[in-house]
This record gives sequence, structure tokens and C-alpha cells, in this order.
Amino acid sequence: MADKEIDLRRLVIKAYHMTAVEWGDENKITTDGNMTVSRKMLDQLAAEDDCIDKIDIQIIKPGEHDRWTNTIMDIIPISTKVLGKLGEGITHTLTGVYVMLTGVDVDGKQCHEFGSSEGNLKEQLYLNRAGTPGDDDYIISFDVTFASGMGQERHGPFTAHRMCDEFIQTYRNQLKKFKGDKCTERHEYHDKVRPGKKRVLIIRQVAGQGAMYDTHLFPDEPSGVEGGKSIIEMGNMPVMITPNEYRDGIIRSMQ
Amino acid sequence: MGIGPSTKETSLHHFRDPLLDVVVEDTDLDLMGIIIVGTPDDNKDKILVGTRAAAMAEMMRADGVIISSDGWGNSDVDFTNTCEQLGIRNIPVTGLNFSGTVGQFVVVNDYLDGIIDINKSEDGTETNVVGENNMVKLDCLKAKALLKLKMRQKERRDAR
Repeated sequence: MADKEIDLRRLVIKAYHMTAVEWGDENKITTDGNMTVSRKMLDQLAAEDDCIDKIDIQIIKPGEHDRWTNTIMDIIPISTKVLGKLGEGITHTLTGVYVMLTGVDVDGKQCHEFGSSEGNLKEQLYLNRAGTPGDDDYIISFDVTFASGMGQERHGPFTAHRMCDEFIQTYRNQLKKFKGDKCTERHEYHDKVRPGKKRVLIIRQVAGQGAMYDTHLFPDEPSGVEGGKSIIEMGNMPVMITPNEYRDGIIRSMQ
Repeated sequence: MGIGPSTKETSLHHFRDPLLDVVVEDTDLDLMGIIIVGTPDDNKDKILVGTRAAAMAEMMRADGVIISSDGWGNSDVDFTNTCEQLGIRNIPVTGLNFSGTVGQFVVVNDYLDGIIDINKSEDGTETNVVGENNMVKLDCLKAKALLKLKMRQKERRDAR
């Protein structure tokens, strides 16, 4: 008789699809798919730290990619924990819109380590990969201008990630309160033991060398910055995570 | 050097990782978990952290490992060492790594025959296009199929 699967824990990810992203007086999302974006908080964010000169936001509509972009530091889903910790319980996430963090300093030096992706967005971003937006997705470009040289110091890119996270948090706080039955997709994932089957491990080798070459784990919010721990600070030593923790956004790329 | 724009994995990639889906979906496999290991600067550290990852796999009695890297160049030192450390512990290993024409392994050993090249660009180069040379589902299916084959071969060898 085959051994029975053992169910360790459940993670439910509920997606809410955004169909329209427009400028508005405040950062706002509704369950009927409308999102508004405001530049209101940007000056205040930029004033928080001397390493940042200014921050701008652009709404990039699907297909309208024939435009300049500074080098792409990260593409981030807007997700939040509703119940439980990362890897279990309930997570809400937005589909149809993703945040793209880009960076350059006041002298025009792009924020990158090894090769950079500034140029025409149409040519610099390969769509429809796991890690990139799809043809029909909106992109919110969060474009940071660093003080001179600060895009190359570890503090600079980290601060840009943190400020982008603060911006995203304004949406997370609303997304947390979305009614569960209004979701447009519902996915259920189980960490399982399959006794008697071949025991397999995945090893993911990730960035861990410096300013634009870092990886954070264990943030407070899915794919977030706040609360995260740098793999560099952990000595780049191997860390184990469960499948559900991984798919719940326990890694933030700080590249 | 480290990560090129075309191989870097965004936070969104980790949220929707195709490798995880491919392994979890296969009911012949019992996925124990994911080891995240960094890519340090220092050569001695590179060898240390990868070797610890391989030792973990051994202590968990892993039947097989799929390893991936999000960069190329000096991160190959880490990658090839971890493959070797798994190999000498008699743990079958396959993996995903960008090689193309510019990113051939800078160091080689006897345990790299299960590594799939995830290059997608026409001329096999670092194109600086974000996402272009990322792993996709098909790459992951290949690495998984190859691992299952290697695990079967080992089983046969061990039975002799």
C-alpha cells in the first residue's frame, strides 16, 4: 500500500486584478479593479535620506513601452499578508500591475553592478517571463535619482528599495482589508510530505556580494523590504525555506 | 563578475518561480525544501558556503538536487563547487545556469553533465535585457527529467 501524503500546512493566495491604473489624489485600490497613483508622498520620502535627490513615478500602460528607462533594479509584486506568517495562512496580491524600481544618480551614473539595462524600455525588458510583467500588465515605474555617487554605495540602493517599499505599503494596507470573496483568482498551496517518494532538494544560488548584488530573506510582508535580513549579513550561509515560504514572497531581490 | 541584467531574478520571479512549480507538481518526488545560498566575494567563502549546502543535502538524505544560479562568471566558482561537493557525496545533481557563448563555465569538474544552459538570446550573450535569459518552465522540466534519470541510474548502480 502506498504511503499517504502528509499535509503540513496550507497557503491561500488570493489575487485581485487591476484593470485600470490612473493618476489620482491618493494611492488607492478598489476590488472592482481601479487603482489610482499619487506623487504626493514622494518629496517627503526623498527628504528622509540625503542619499536620495528625488523620486518620480510614471504609470506605464500596457504596450506603451517605447520610452526611456533608467536601469531596472527590481520588479516587485504588490502583495500583503492577511492571516498568518509568510508561508501559511492567507496572502492577497494584485495582478495586472507591477512596480518597477529604477535608479540613476544626479550625474547620470546608472545604479548597477555588472551590466545595466537603461535605454528604451521596449528593448530592455523581456515581457511574459516569471519575473517580468505580461503584455497586458500596467507597470508603475518608481524612479529614484541618487545624490552624486550614492547609487554605487550600499546604503543608496538599499534606501531606494526601502522607499519603494514604503510606497507599496500604502497599497498593502488597503489590500489587507479586501473582502476575500471579491478576489478574481484563488490559489491553494500545500506543503506536503510524500513518504516513499524520491527526496529532492532545490538549491538556489543567489546574489550576495554587495550594493546591487544582495538578496534579502524573511521580510514582514511578501516580497517586501521591512524586516528582511540580508544574505550578506548572514555570511552567505545556506538557509532553508519551505516551498510555501518561497512562493509567498520570502525573497526580495536587492540586485 | 556577477549578475547580468538578462539573468538576474527579480522579486517577482521568486514569487512565481517556475522551478518550484515543476518540482512540486511531480507526484513521484518529495520536495523537502529549498536551500538559499549566497554568492560571496571571497574565494574561500565561495567554497565554504556551497560545501555547507551540499553537506546539508547529505544530512537530509537527499536522493537528488536541482541547483540554479542567477548569474554567471565568478558565480560559476560557487556553482561548480556545489555541484562537485554534491557529486562526491554521491548525490545526483542537475541544474540551471546561463552559459550561452560568453558565459561558459570558468571552472569545470566531473559533475556538470546535468546542467541545462538557460541562454535564450540568439548569439548567446549577456543582452542586458531584463528577464531574457531567465529560466522558463521548459528549462525546469528538462532539469527535472534529467534528475529523475540520474536518480534511476544511481539506484541501478547501487543495486549491483
